[in-house]
Amino acid sequence: MTLAEEVRLLLEQALAVYRDSPRAAAWLRRHRSRLDEPVRVAVAGASRAGKSTAVSALVGEEFVPTGAWAWYRDGTRARAVVGGHEVPIARRDGRAFVDVGDAERVDVEWPARSLRDVVLVDTPADAPVEQVYGEADAVLYLTRHVGSADLRYLRAAHDHPVARAAPVNTVLVLARADEVGGGRIDALSSARLIARRHRREPQVKPLCQQVVALAGLLAAAARTLRDDEFAALTALAAAARVDLEDHLLSADRFVGEDFPVPLPAAARRALVDRFGIFGVRLTTTLIRQGFGTRVQLTGQLVQRSGLAELREAVGAHFTERRDALKARSALLGLDVVLRNENRPGTAALAAGVERVLASAHDFRELRLLAALQAGRVRLPEEQAAEATRLVGGLGTSPAARLGVERLPGDELRPAVLDALGRWRERAADPASDQGARRAAAVVVRSCEGVLAVS
Amino acid sequence: MSAPWLDVLDDTIRSCVTHNRPDLAERLREQRARQLDPKLRVLVLGEPRQGKSQLVNALVNASVCAVGDDVTTTVPTFVQHAETPSAALVRTNADTPTERIPVPIDRLAGELRAGRVDRLVRAEVGLPRALLTSGLVLIDTPGVGDPRPARTASTFAALLQADAVLMVSDATAELTASELDLLKRAMASCPNVVVVLTKIDLATRWRHVLERNRGRLARAGVAAKLIPVSAALRLRAARTGDRALNAESGFPELLACVQRDIVAAADVLARRTVAVTAASALRQLVVPVREELTAHGSPVAVARLNEAQRRVDELRRRSARWQAVLADEMADLVSDVEYDLRDRTRRILREVDRVFETADPARGWDAFEEWLEDNLTEAAAANFAWLLDRSRWVAEKVARSFPVHRDDLLPEGVFPPDVLDRVAKLDKPLIERFTVGQKLFTGLRGSYGGVLMLGLVTSLAGMPLINAISLGAGALFGGKTVLDESEQRLRRRQAAARVAAQRHVDDFLLKFGKDFRDAARHIQRSLRTHFSTLADELQETLLESARSARRAVQEDTTARERRTQEAKRELDRLVRLYQRVQALGDERAAPLVLSA
Repeated sequence: MTLAEEVRLLLEQALAVYRDSPRAAAWLRRHRSRLDEPVRVAVAGASRAGKSTAVSALVGEEFVPTGAWAWYRDGTRARAVVGGHEVPIARRDGRAFVDVGDAERVDVEWPARSLRDVVLVDTPADAPVEQVYGEADAVLYLTRHVGSADLRYLRAAHDHPVARAAPVNTVLVLARADEVGGGRIDALSSARLIARRHRREPQVKPLCQQVVALAGLLAAAARTLRDDEFAALTALAAAARVDLEDHLLSADRFVGEDFPVPLPAAARRALVDRFGIFGVRLTTTLIRQGFGTRVQLTGQLVQRSGLAELREAVGAHFTERRDALKARSALLGLDVVLRNENRPGTAALAAGVERVLASAHDFRELRLLAALQAGRVRLPEEQAAEATRLVGGLGTSPAARLGVERLPGDELRPAVLDALGRWRERAADPASDQGARRAAAVVVRSCEGVLAVS
Repeated sequence: MSAPWLDVLDDTIRSCVTHNRPDLAERLREQRARQLDPKLRVLVLGEPRQGKSQLVNALVNASVCAVGDDVTTTVPTFVQHAETPSAALVRTNADTPTERIPVPIDRLAGELRAGRVDRLVRAEVGLPRALLTSGLVLIDTPGVGDPRPARTASTFAALLQADAVLMVSDATAELTASELDLLKRAMASCPNVVVVLTKIDLATRWRHVLERNRGRLARAGVAAKLIPVSAALRLRAARTGDRALNAESGFPELLACVQRDIVAAADVLARRTVAVTAASALRQLVVPVREELTAHGSPVAVARLNEAQRRVDELRRRSARWQAVLADEMADLVSDVEYDLRDRTRRILREVDRVFETADPARGWDAFEEWLEDNLTEAAAANFAWLLDRSRWVAEKVARSFPVHRDDLLPEGVFPPDVLDRVAKLDKPLIERFTVGQKLFTGLRGSYGGVLMLGLVTSLAGMPLINAISLGAGALFGGKTVLDESEQRLRRRQAAARVAAQRHVDDFLLKFGKDFRDAARHIQRSLRTHFSTLADELQETLLESARSARRAVQEDTTARERRTQEAKRELDRLVRLYQRVQALGDERAAPLVLSA
């Protein structure tokens, strides 16, 4: 029985036990239907961290921030629902705008390929951490730079028995990477270095699976680049660098008088609002370097802004782990009911939750990953890296687990068998300590899983 | 350029000398020396990544503070005036209090980043800059709120000594709640705060942010000035010599503000202090002269002589009282503050005990060490701040029990500088690991008993000594012995860690306790000296009027008339000097009553 089936069965049993309590039943039914949805990814963070911008970049459409909980799902046509009524989606300065009023929540359906595997939830800045982690299966936590307040938030998120048994579902995003180093032209590579340092930091490592840098403004602008903007940028790039240099020093200068390129001040203001002064500097440089068509430019910007890396992280850690994350959320939800309402069947259900948590291999993999990241399990560096890879720390596809780009089907088996043999030996090696042997056993089981599907 | 207050002060000193009051003259000379070498500490404060170091660099137009894309500043950097550019790293040592290591100025940033020198306390940079000649010291600090072992405590220790604070926040986002908290905390120690909005070249909507920040400050009830600047533009303007760009960078306004609100304000403060001291000295000079003028007939003169002698006696009687107050209060203070320190460290030790009941010191020792260090430094800083507060209060209380009231009763600068040096590093306890060989041996030792025990029992049943059952029991016994042993070793490690922490806290208590008792003694001594000087002056004044009264009784009429003329002239001179002194201070000194 797969993990999803087991969890569904548990929920059915719980519904049978709690059929006389309307509140518990409704709660459980909601969690049952949640199992069939795509992974819900909440975008959380302090105010002005760039949450709405990151959502816009991921969806590929610019939305005006609402200040409410905004749910973005895939749909056949664009529609928005506030409090059960459909409201029109207006256009304001080229951005999609939904009048939320003082409602707490808005549901937006938007036809987009990027929303096929995820439901994105844009959260308000002051949303409580329990609510964010309760509503969502996984969280993108955005911050400008990692401070103690961010670590406190993430620690609070991990403070639950089920959350500890099936740990980590967070990707930390250093949003607004374009502001690093005062907006120098190499700000983004610098931001990536900082993200890499955070990945190794013992305080950050146990709290998230991945740290990525994102220049949200640039990514959103790239995904929604318009013809007139592209024309303006090309015109800028065509001007001599020396002439332009002084006017790219500050945002004020860019919209000021005596501009060497015939662009109206309003157009320049719009451009700098959308791209930021760093974005303008970078795009003009890129066009000069020969990325002269719109497609080339967009591709470069998506790559450089860190959006590609963010998408990969969401793919590897969230969408590919859909079953585990969904099961985790469902078990968390079930746990709430079991704690609050005691019935004759409650103890059996609690034991069921316990059994699934302890035995499901997906959770074991997640636990091992967390233990490796937090340093609770000590393996030699090479082995730790291989173990992380094999249990799906870099993606759960067979190729990602084996650390290769793509493998022809007939070469896959020998590679897996080779890894399997080595880890079997390690699992039985009397010289290593018990933690290491257990870790090796989990890796062996992962290898067997790969073998079974290949 | 000599300040106008300097001339007045020199004249007053000369008058004191001619009036035969070397004690007053000496005190004024000390004051003069102190005012001539002012150090104005301006602390650059803020959260990480806001552009603090870059702001300091742009202020002095030189890249002296390390700037980088990641968190870079790890120790406070003091930038002050020097004839030639120089730099040094200051670190603490176990045996000597501090040690200065000179480094080439262009290598300072690299040295700090490399972090080769450990136990660094601060870096010092000297630069020949017009801005710094007035005694301005710019202090770049590590960001507050960085989760890594940031030396936040050192920032707050520096805050206690700051004369002004530049609070840095960048224009890409509004002031956050934590920044407002930090701002309020800074204002509690040092009310002279300017908020600097940096990176306005980068932020498109910095004017909007500026407005919102103004609103926030107003709502929070913080009266601080907000100045938008761009260090990038300023540094570029300095390279290219572009005046328009420099004006755009906002730095001229910031410099003017520093000049006006900090340097000039300090000058006003200096003038006021000088005015108060000089006025008090002059008033003492005037008393005997005026009394000589009022003495006309012999009966009056005799009454005056009696009165003067009565006042001298009374002064002697009452000065015993303030001495008692000072001694009592200081003893109370020392015991209270010491108790507070013990209480704080005891709480830390409790926490250590609690942690090491479960945690294994073999893992995470480094994190623990940082935690302990940070907590101890914080305890020391809080404790020291309290000592300063209390001693100020003691000074006020002693001043109240002083026989007469004067404007300069309360002393300034009785507090010793730089008490917060760090103690020696925490010694890592010996962590014995349970190696495989040891495990094997322990296991064998345990299994031996098992094999023998069950082997003997089963041999009664006719089996050989070594059989399946006895071997199984041997394995079980061996496993249990290994488990027990590793459990015991964990306990031993935990005990060792607790002892190491205890010993470190003891060291800390010993070192800091000594420092703090020294500081308390220093304060007591300064207060005693200060008040006894005042008392001596008072006594001298009274004795002088007693002497003149005696002269008045003894002298004959013609001589007395000549002396009256002289006294009148002298009084005129003193009054003119007093008026000049009054013109110095903004607050009006008490008007000099002339009855002649």
